[in-house]
Order: sequence, then structure tokens, then C-alpha cells
Amino acid sequence: MTRIIPFIRRNLFGIIILTPAVLYLVGFLLIILFKVVGLAFTQVSPDGSLFPTAVHFIELSQNPEFKAAFTRTIWFVLVGTPMELIVGMIAAFLVVREFKGRGIIRSVFILPLAIPAIVTAIMLYIMFDFPGGHINDILMGRHSFFPFQLIAEPVNWRGSGFFALMVSMVGKVWRDMPISMLIILAGLQSISKDQYEAATTMGANTFQTFMKITLPLLTPAMATVLVLRSIEVWKEFIFPFILAGSYPLLATLIERAYHEWRDPHEASAIALILLGLIILSTIIIFYVLKWLRKQLVKV
Amino acid sequence: MRKKNMRGTRVIWLIGIIVMILIVLAPIFVMFKYSLSDRSSVVTGGKPIPLWPYHPTVEQFHGLATMDRFMTAALISLEVALLSILIALVIGTPAAYALVRYRFPGVMVLATLLISVRLFPDIVSVVPIVEVFLKFRLVNSVLGVALAHSLLSIPYVIFIAMGVFETIPRELDEQAQILGASKLYSFTRIIVPVALPGLAAAAIYVFLLSWDEFIFAYFLLAFGDLSTLPVLLKKILSWTPQHNLLAAISVMLSIPVIIFTFVVQKYMRTGATAGAVK
Repeated sequence: MTRIIPFIRRNLFGIIILTPAVLYLVGFLLIILFKVVGLAFTQVSPDGSLFPTAVHFIELSQNPEFKAAFTRTIWFVLVGTPMELIVGMIAAFLVVREFKGRGIIRSVFILPLAIPAIVTAIMLYIMFDFPGGHINDILMGRHSFFPFQLIAEPVNWRGSGFFALMVSMVGKVWRDMPISMLIILAGLQSISKDQYEAATTMGANTFQTFMKITLPLLTPAMATVLVLRSIEVWKEFIFPFILAGSYPLLATLIERAYHEWRDPHEASAIALILLGLIILSTIIIFYVLKWLRKQLVKV
Repeated sequence: MRKKNMRGTRVIWLIGIIVMILIVLAPIFVMFKYSLSDRSSVVTGGKPIPLWPYHPTVEQFHGLATMDRFMTAALISLEVALLSILIALVIGTPAAYALVRYRFPGVMVLATLLISVRLFPDIVSVVPIVEVFLKFRLVNSVLGVALAHSLLSIPYVIFIAMGVFETIPRELDEQAQILGASKLYSFTRIIVPVALPGLAAAAIYVFLLSWDEFIFAYFLLAFGDLSTLPVLLKKILSWTPQHNLLAAISVMLSIPVIIFTFVVQKYMRTGATAGAVK
């Protein structure tokens, strides 16, 4: 006690100006958590009172729409997260070497970050239109610059779950590419040139230096991309909402439950399930990467 | 042999660069192209849509200037963004200063905790927030959206402002206080003015976040008469509009983002490498 009072007095100004932010962020977070758990585990009884129940989770586990959304989301994450990493790595490897006009090319590669996600979604909506969108026109060879007919009939992109989610993923990966690229680029640039020179003098070829130097030293950056991007892909909303309206993922099913079923309790239950999945997958990715790093560095 | 190999990788690299540029630019080109399209280049009656409009025109933008819904939505977007900047900076800046200057135990844990609030999935928090906001009449209101947006942006403001305050030497505060300034006075009159350029970057960041934010704005405004620009785009989409109208609104929504992104690119890069970009 005797030590606390002088401590507070010494740091009084700091504590005072820190308080609003702590209250705002932590307060909001606590309200959100209490409310989402409260909604998910209660039900309004006919006489208007709330009673605690797990009925929403039981109902959801039998709801075919929820099951379908669950499966779609798993696939979306399993394919989307590696895609984000791979595309980011390709972009980073393309611009990491010195060349004339590198600054301009890098600025071009950062452009997707400057296009609002909703605009990107609308542009994909227009490009992948049916029957007359640009992508269909090009694939059917209707333009003189690309006279190869790859498909005979136009594809109804938004009319099939597979294509609708593919297009959503294209949008997501396109828009996130700069972020993954910048993180990988920072990782690449932190590898010192001496190591490459040493390897080359000892007669290593490009493939060997890549496998034995670049990849192991790049794992921290790759881990950052995978962890952050997997969270993003799990909770992706805008692209599937605009482009795959009839094929909801868990995130878009929350919107449907809230707006169409008009059931905030069910919506909160889905939100909690999604939150649990995100936390679980982050932990799994973290440990898998830790193990993988050990395997790579041991060699 | 080695030389030939080098040339081979160079060709692959060049193809890669070109393909990547095309992929990156395609949707952006399509957006500008459609916004300049006349009716005959959008409704083609079965013919392929031209890669460049038959008769480029800016009539869509003239149309927007007289379209009440668009002008109101743009104004609402601006109001929400400015209000979010105000809330986020007033709450976030002092906190960042305290986190940098006061090294009491646990301060870095607190900083990490506050900054990682942004990792909480927005789609999970949106339903509880709307339910709570309903009780306070904050649904379908500018203030409600601004409060939600500042919740998203305060962690970024703290992160950016901490970086700014770290570059200001501690001696500056100390000397001001030796000369008799109070802590509050030296913070508001000496430190903040010095930090202003960096804080401006934080403000731009908040603007960008709020200007193109969709999820909170949509859930809070979906059934009301108010719309921000992203929400307006979604609402218009449900009446299957002509694509050139959609593209024109998209251009108006994107232009401030494109300009400001390149203004704050330096800060974004450091943010991105620290994992602080959304």
C-alpha cells in the first residue's frame, strides 16, 4: 500500500490520459464478449423472459444450411490461406531483386491495398457477370486479341457454389496480396547477402540456396503471413457476401441469421462457433509452424 | 551454359512481372473503363463488351452530381469519417503518449493488449454491437457508425502515434517542465504540435479505415434511410443497376483512398511489416 500511493502520484498524469483508451477498448470488448455469449446461450420464452439454454447450438448442428456453410468455410480457409501466402511470395520474389523502375513496379503492386474491398467485390461482380461479362467473353474467345475458345458456353459464375467461392477467393487474394508481399519482402531483405555468397562459393546451386537458406530464414515471415491471413480468411465477409450470396460461409451466414431469420441468438451462436474455430486454427497453425521450423533448421 | 540459364530465369521473371501487373491492373482498369462507358458499350445486346467504350463519356459523373442518394451518402461517409477521426485521435493520442513516456511495469503488455484488440474478428462483434446500440438509439445514426469505426481505428492510432512519440526526445518534455510548464501544458502545447505531421498520418489512416468500412456500416444502416458510400453501393446492387453507374460510384469511392494510401504509404509499410494492416 505504501508503495502504491507514491507510484500513482508519480505516474498520475500518465494514468489519467491512458484511462479513456483502456476504458473504451477493453470496455467495448467486454460488452461484446458478454453480449455475444449472453445472446448465444439464451432464448426468449413465450412470456417474454430470457432463459439460459444451449438449444441454438443443437439446432445449428441439425441445420443443413449451417452444415453446408461450415463445410464451405473449411474449404475456403484450407485453399485460401495457402493461396494468400503463395501469391504474396511470388510478388515478393518478383520485386526483391534490383532493377530499373523497381519503385514504380512496387507501387503498382501495392495498388490493390488502395482499392476498397467493396469496390473490388463489385468489379469482380461486373467482370464475372453472366452471360456477358469480360471473363466469359475472353474465355469464349470473342475478342480478337485472344482468339482461343476455351469454353463453349458462358459460365454462370454466381450460379454455382464452387465458382462463386472461387471468385470470392480471387478477390480476397487480389486485395490482400500487397500485405503478404510486404511482409515476405521484409523477411527476404533481412537475410544477409553474405550467406548467399558463402553458399555460392561452396558450390551450391540456386535450388540448394533456396531450400537451405532462403526458405528456413523466411519461415518467421511466412508464419506471420499464415497466421494473420488465416484469421482474415476465416472471417472474410465482403467478397462472399457480394459474390456468393446464395452460398454462405459462416461469416455471411451470421448476416443471414440476423437479417433474414431475424434471430440474434442464432446469429451470435454462429459468431461464437466462428470465433472458436479461429482461435483453434491459430493455435494449430502456430504449433505446426514451430514444428516445421525445427525440422527445417535442424538440417 | 550458365549464361543461357541466367537468360532463362530473366525471361521467366519478366513474364511473371507482366502477368502480375496485368492481374493487379485488370479490376482497376475495368472500374475506370465502365465509369466512362456510354449505354451502348454496356448494354451490347449479345455482342462482347468492348475493352474500351465506343463513345467515352463522363455523363455518369454528371448524373452522380445530381443524384440525391449519392450526394447524401457521400456527405454521410464524410461525416462518419471526420467524427471517427475526432474520437479516435482524442482517445488514442494521449494513450500512446502515456505508453511511450511512462515506463511502469506491465506497460508494454498493456500496449500489446490495446493494439491487438484489432485482431478481434469484426464479423463476430457486429451482432452484439448492433444489439447494444439498438438500446441507445445508435442504430441508423452517424454517431453509431462513427463509434464503431473509432473502435476499429483506435488500436491503429495508438500504434502509429507511439512510433511518432518515440522519435521526440524526452528532453523536450523535461525542459518544458523545468521552465515551469505543467505536464498537461507541455503535452498539449509542445509535444502534440511537434508530433502533428505524424498524427496527421494517423488521421488519414482513420479516414481510410472509416471511408471504405463496410461490415459495421452495413449492419448499422441496412434498414434505415442513411447510407455511407459502401452501403449505398450494396443497396443499389439489389436493384440490378447498369454497370457503368456502379463503376462511377466505385471510382468516387476509390479516388480518395488511392490518393491517401500513397500519402501514408511509408507508415503503412512499417505497419504492414509489424502486422498492423487490416
